[in-house]
Amino acid sequence: MSISGKTAIAGLGVTAFGKLPGRSAWSLQTEAVKRALDDAGLEKEDVDGLLTAPPLAEPLLLHAEQLGGKLGLKANYLSQKFIGGATALALVAEAAMAIDAGLCEVAVCVYGENAKTGMPMLFGRAQMGRGQPPSDDIAYGLAGGPIMEARAARRYMNEYGVTEEMLGSVAVSFREHASRNPGATYRDPLTIEQYLQNRYVSEPLRVLDCTIGASDGAVAVVVTSAARARDLKKPPAYIAGAGVAANLQGLSDPDHYTSYPGARSSQTAYRMAGLEPTDVDVAQFYDCFTSTVLITIEDYGFCKRGDAGHFAFEGNLTLKGQLPSNTSGGMLSEANLVGWNVLAEGIRQIRGESTSQVDDAEVCIVAGQGGFHAAHSTLLLTKETR
Amino acid sequence: MPHTLTELVAGAVPIVVEETRGYWEGTLEEKLLIQKCNTCGHFQMPWGPCCTRCLSQDLGSQQASGRATVYSFTVVRQAIHPDFSAQVPYVLADVQLEEGPIMTSNVTDIDPEGVSIGMPVRVWFDEELEDAFHVKLRLPKFRPQETTEA
Repeated sequence: MSISGKTAIAGLGVTAFGKLPGRSAWSLQTEAVKRALDDAGLEKEDVDGLLTAPPLAEPLLLHAEQLGGKLGLKANYLSQKFIGGATALALVAEAAMAIDAGLCEVAVCVYGENAKTGMPMLFGRAQMGRGQPPSDDIAYGLAGGPIMEARAARRYMNEYGVTEEMLGSVAVSFREHASRNPGATYRDPLTIEQYLQNRYVSEPLRVLDCTIGASDGAVAVVVTSAARARDLKKPPAYIAGAGVAANLQGLSDPDHYTSYPGARSSQTAYRMAGLEPTDVDVAQFYDCFTSTVLITIEDYGFCKRGDAGHFAFEGNLTLKGQLPSNTSGGMLSEANLVGWNVLAEGIRQIRGESTSQVDDAEVCIVAGQGGFHAAHSTLLLTKETR
Repeated sequence: MPHTLTELVAGAVPIVVEETRGYWEGTLEEKLLIQKCNTCGHFQMPWGPCCTRCLSQDLGSQQASGRATVYSFTVVRQAIHPDFSAQVPYVLADVQLEEGPIMTSNVTDIDPEGVSIGMPVRVWFDEELEDAFHVKLRLPKFRPQETTEA
């Protein structure tokens, strides 16, 4: 039946993030895999499943095969997935399903890129396909993530009276966490006043509302059965719930501006785990934009529709608040590893290893979002099995 | 004729493909055509290979009145594509056609600060362009409706 609690994340491998000149994406990916295995106390020979997300800068069709070759692996399960920023959590869910179904025993999920100093991010028309929406909309100047998201943000703010200060409070809260994370790209404290003086990219979104453009770095996680994870070096982060949902009609759908498919993927995850929003101790949202965080807070049931702006502005996303979130600084301040750094921080919270640790964190919810909120993925990680 | 993927995708002009040929042909006659399913009557924008409601491939079109309202919009202050650097600030908008579907376009002929959600707009057709395969098209854009015609 359900896979709840049957598998766990037993190893986490994270490289440095930011500007890493001279490092290829392959070298970062393989380093992350080695670190994840060392962290779990496993050898390469223990790995029999490999699941990869191709780098945005070099979206290779046979990425999993090529990386497996560089690692010298033999595998009983192999997969490659790309559903944008929803990939990381969906790939971990897939690994959990493959292990539970008996296809493999120890699976490594990995992503890494050198988009900052190496090959530039190539995510546009070449990937979207000629003549296909929304790539034709480039004719109207629709080029770049902030322009995609700003229209949803505008409609959402207009509908619920959300102010720019409320958006800004998300950036300010996550920067506070980043200031304690020595690996974060942006660590200088930020105030609402500074935020309001920041320039617009695509109104209502300012530079500070948007994820860091690109970062070099890699993240790998080891997924295995709950029983095996208990015998390994690190405390397991049990996969208590998972969900993947999508709304593929884009902004042609009038309802898709103020609610994302995270509403459904979180319901799947809560139901699987037998948990509710009130059980969650700490959250790691996919913070590609500040507005995305507010809408996800509502989609996940932490606030009534339209209330997340007030909730964030009152400081509830910081360690002193009701829902400490993006405790490494997230993609707004730590790094843009397309949600993989957000996942890594979720695992650290369950282990008690964060630089902004939430006391007694037992349940962490993690969000992934891809294709400009077309796809959404959710993971519920727990310290104990229920 | 473009030879490489890079040449094909570099420009900012739409590329006319089988599914959208009828739509772009309409623009040359200053007609804004909504794709209409001949099986279930569903209206959809943008055009696609099948009806998103019933999956029928028996598709036709219906001319839109050209009247629409701004559903949402953004004032772009920083162009990411170089073709638009000289145009900032410009208004990228989703407009809801009187017939129902929402389409992405620009709102022009107004100070960007004057645009608002719900504002009535009307279609106009920009100058003729050629795509990478020399197929002609005109971009439908929107400007505020005169209050007298609303």
